[in-house]
Amino acid sequence: MTMDAKALPDLFNRYRDRFAAEKQALIELDGKVGDSDLGLTMAKGFTAAATALEEKAPETLADGMKTAGAAIAKAAPSTMGTLMATGFLRGAKALDGVDVMDTAALADFWAAFRDGIAQRGKAQLGDKTVLDVLHPMAETIAAQAQAGASPAEASRAAAQAAKEALEATKEMEAQHGKAAAFGEKSKGIQDAGGTVACILIEETSAAFGA
Amino acid sequence: MKKFLNKPEDFVEEMLEGIYAAHPEVTHVADDLHCFVTANPVPGKVGIVTGGGSGHLPLFLGYVGDGMLDGAGVGGVFQSPSSDQILEVTKHVDQGAGVLYLYGNYSGDIMNFDLAGELAEVDDIETATVVGNDDVASSQPGEEHKRRGVAGIVFLYKVAGAAAAEMKPLAEVVRLTEKAKARTRTMGVALTPCIVPEVGKPSFTLGEDEMEIGMGIHGEPGITRKTLEPADAVVDEMMERIFAEQDYAAGDEVAIIVNGLGATPMEELYIFYRRISQLFAERNVSVAQVWIGEFATSMEMAGASISVLHLDDELKPLIARGATTPFFKHIAK
Repeated sequence: MTMDAKALPDLFNRYRDRFAAEKQALIELDGKVGDSDLGLTMAKGFTAAATALEEKAPETLADGMKTAGAAIAKAAPSTMGTLMATGFLRGAKALDGVDVMDTAALADFWAAFRDGIAQRGKAQLGDKTVLDVLHPMAETIAAQAQAGASPAEASRAAAQAAKEALEATKEMEAQHGKAAAFGEKSKGIQDAGGTVACILIEETSAAFGA
Repeated sequence: MKKFLNKPEDFVEEMLEGIYAAHPEVTHVADDLHCFVTANPVPGKVGIVTGGGSGHLPLFLGYVGDGMLDGAGVGGVFQSPSSDQILEVTKHVDQGAGVLYLYGNYSGDIMNFDLAGELAEVDDIETATVVGNDDVASSQPGEEHKRRGVAGIVFLYKVAGAAAAEMKPLAEVVRLTEKAKARTRTMGVALTPCIVPEVGKPSFTLGEDEMEIGMGIHGEPGITRKTLEPADAVVDEMMERIFAEQDYAAGDEVAIIVNGLGATPMEELYIFYRRISQLFAERNVSVAQVWIGEFATSMEMAGASISVLHLDDELKPLIARGATTPFFKHIAK
């Protein structure tokens, strides 16, 4: 299937439900090397985004992504909330003039999402952050778009790449943000921000019926 | 910890309630005490918004008023305001001429102001950003972009505020503010630490006879920690670093801020200025404006900073222009 503006509320309802379900797990994961607020802020942020899209049906994909980004910024004023809001706002710009999310648009969206977060968060690849999952994810979708895959196939492949990338963060030592203070001790633990990225692509993939 | 508090967690909100009670010329919007704005916006003027963590009064909100700033996002102690709070302030102060974000170089503030700017763009409000980075001690020359913003930002507020009050367009306000930024330098010295109310104890210690040259206003490490010296020697060491940054030629003019960090008395600030004025006199550089007092503090930290703005024909009248805010009053010269 494909995705247009009318399908966005469903997508964000999926995000909302999944983050509500994973709230406790994220709190515990983040609590090992951070201040344990990740589960709460993501649950709050995506609930606000889903509510905003239900209150005001988006006219275009870009509008809907902007509405979601603004809602997350307001409801989740933490570092990850700010990064997610940035991701959706930048992704929205990449969808300007796009009516239906084909694989090329999906690739543009996630590339802009990743670039926005990289610029705002100023982390490098390998620092054990959300970027270490977002980057391989976005690259996979771009390659799938090149190969002529459907959005469902592309997002399924990206979800698999994200899962592997998330696993690989266990071997990394945190270099950025509060977790950096834990250094060596952060080894063996999967990155909490990367987990968020993984959830997003899994639910996106599910929304495409993959 | 020995502070006048009710509950540590109410420190910021109760401070804000006190300020609103004392100064009807400022108010808050969006039903949030942290969204601090002037009660008297000027139609058609470029809006200027600052912001940052609490614990630095008069920074940041203290400069909201006539001839200076229009709004401030107020964060928790040493914490950035949220992007949404900055956005609410932005929407309120925008008078159709765009909004300048003018704040200090700290990663949390940059993240939230940048996101607020993107959100404002969605609402068709034009924003521009100038980030203060006057603290010489926080990075080598050539790496100025890594330097923290400290008391010298008050010069930037003054210049930007005067330019906006003269109804200059956003691009011109930005140009003049960037110019003031390029010509502003600050050096600080700390004698004692400060205590974040919700933490309850100092985050570092300094020996009874020690000082730390170049320490940041949140206790960030400075350049050297050593035995306290006579005031003139301390000033000489600080000013040597400032003089090394720019060519202050005979006949040039400067504006100076001698700033107390919270616990240092005015007397000592004037002992500092005595020596500073001698150093400029030796160079035949004249001091067109000096402000001495508390401009950017770190709660009960003892210490001081010296900020110098190297004036030129364009900046001098902007510094001289009158301004009135709850914490800053300047009669036009």
